[in-house]
Amino acid sequence: MGPGEHHCHSGVYSLDAIGIGVDMQEAILFYILGSLAVVCSLGVLLSKNPVSSALYLALTMVGLSFVFVGLDAFFIGMVQLAVYAGAVMVLIVMVVMLFDLKKEEDSFSPGFFGNGLKVILGGFMVGAIASVIAYSTEMILSAPKITQAEPVDMSVKALARLLFTDYVVAFEILGVLLLLVAIGAVALSRIPGGTHADD
Amino acid sequence: MGSDVFEISVNFIKLVAIFLLMVQLVPLLVWVERRGSAYIQNRFGPNRVGPLGLTQLLADAVKFLFKEEFIPGEGRRLIFLLAPVVALIPGALAFGSIPLSAPIQVEAFQWLGQTWGPYNFPFQSFQFDIGIVFVLGVSSLAAYALLMAGYGSENKYSLFGALRASAQMISYELALGLSLVGILLIYGTFDFAEMVTLQEGPLTLMLFGTEYTLSFLPNWGIFYQPLGFVILFAALFAETNRLPFDLPEAEAELVAGYHTEYGGLKMNMFYIGEYGHMLVASGLISTFYLGGYNLPFVTVDQIREFFVQSQGFTLTNASLAASFLLHLVFMAKVFLLLWIFIWVRWTLPRFRYDQLMDLGWKTMLPWALGNTIVTAVFILWMRSV
Repeated sequence: MGPGEHHCHSGVYSLDAIGIGVDMQEAILFYILGSLAVVCSLGVLLSKNPVSSALYLALTMVGLSFVFVGLDAFFIGMVQLAVYAGAVMVLIVMVVMLFDLKKEEDSFSPGFFGNGLKVILGGFMVGAIASVIAYSTEMILSAPKITQAEPVDMSVKALARLLFTDYVVAFEILGVLLLLVAIGAVALSRIPGGTHADD
Repeated sequence: MGSDVFEISVNFIKLVAIFLLMVQLVPLLVWVERRGSAYIQNRFGPNRVGPLGLTQLLADAVKFLFKEEFIPGEGRRLIFLLAPVVALIPGALAFGSIPLSAPIQVEAFQWLGQTWGPYNFPFQSFQFDIGIVFVLGVSSLAAYALLMAGYGSENKYSLFGALRASAQMISYELALGLSLVGILLIYGTFDFAEMVTLQEGPLTLMLFGTEYTLSFLPNWGIFYQPLGFVILFAALFAETNRLPFDLPEAEAELVAGYHTEYGGLKMNMFYIGEYGHMLVASGLISTFYLGGYNLPFVTVDQIREFFVQSQGFTLTNASLAASFLLHLVFMAKVFLLLWIFIWVRWTLPRFRYDQLMDLGWKTMLPWALGNTIVTAVFILWMRSV
């Protein structure tokens, strides 16, 4: 790669030539992907069928990963796609193989009291999110504007160096946590009857 | 997309053309598959319609278009209809990120009373500096098409086929990813174009701090990572659902699998997806291990130089000619690999399901892991002396 070449190395796909500025492009991209993610995560919660839920979750992950791409964090976006969207696949397979779908649908619609509880909890959740948005908007608006952004090294090498030097303890602990989850899943699946052990 | 109207239009045309290239290669591959299988089995194959039976494909396409569109009444309509579309996306996206030839360098020129350029057009739909991660990320979505097809059909055989397929893909994705780590350690980059550039010239090895050059071999990845090559090749057979790993769609024994309920153009789209995956797989293998678009023993600059000096081309035209030539070289490598895909399909018998899982988890995964560790230690040892 010679220095004179000016392909889209940093991911800045400029459409200035046809009158759309970079800010505008980023805004359009963000609103499309953001609404995709929000609609799909609503779908995860609202659909009764576990497989549809999982498919919505996969779409949410795809939307989020391209939000990362829009922020020029290509590597994280693509890893998000490979790891999270790929992992939802396993979730679907587990759902299909281990669950009795009819029974799950019944247990997700338990009647008056259960629904009331859900509505109350949902109300708390909405309140929490709304207050977070209100406070953080105030904080962001009152924060001093950054005029000249510091050039941040976004390369994979820099990321890897940080991960394996400054954050190596957190990294290893996360690895142990994942191992624990895997062992737990194996232990659960060895119980006769699986997740429906009382059958 | 680009910095002015010319660059944007060229990039847009490129985007469409490379997608069409992938889609248009599929009927040709189907023809090669049918004639090749006939050749291997001592038959004639389709040889009646047109020269060498080539227009059989056109007849098939018309047939696919006019077939009755069947949607199972008990199925989940939206998922059922979306699955064939989803099947096309990963292959098309991944194929777009593979460099099909050397970048075309266009010098500044006058046109319509304005100065344009200079430009540098990579011979691929879009270029990332993290090409491999992109391909891995996108192709991890490939299994969704099969699972959606199986689930949306609301048919036991389809669902079983889809589960077989997704279990197989998840199992072999591990071996595939790990077998790539060795070659990544050697090249030290995620960028396909950079990898191809690194494979220019004769084979150069670093042994105990001394550089050895073997001038009779090209500097291709296969000579550094023979084991990685074998594992990646085998894993890609499993990822593309081709024989000997075609349990997801074993027609005769297990009922056709995830696409049992599909007919007509929808069925055809699954086929385009499968052949698209084969194309991506061949492109990846030739980029990682067979020097990409490189012609052995000459560099891209030497070819451009040749066109400028002995043919009297301008720099732009020389770059165009060199890129065209190297594109043919790349396609020759891809077609060779595609022929091996087809050859293997009609030569080897199918694995049993337990053998398939044994091979993936107990053979290929440990070997790929070992390959990674040995490569890492070797690089550290050889380059630090």
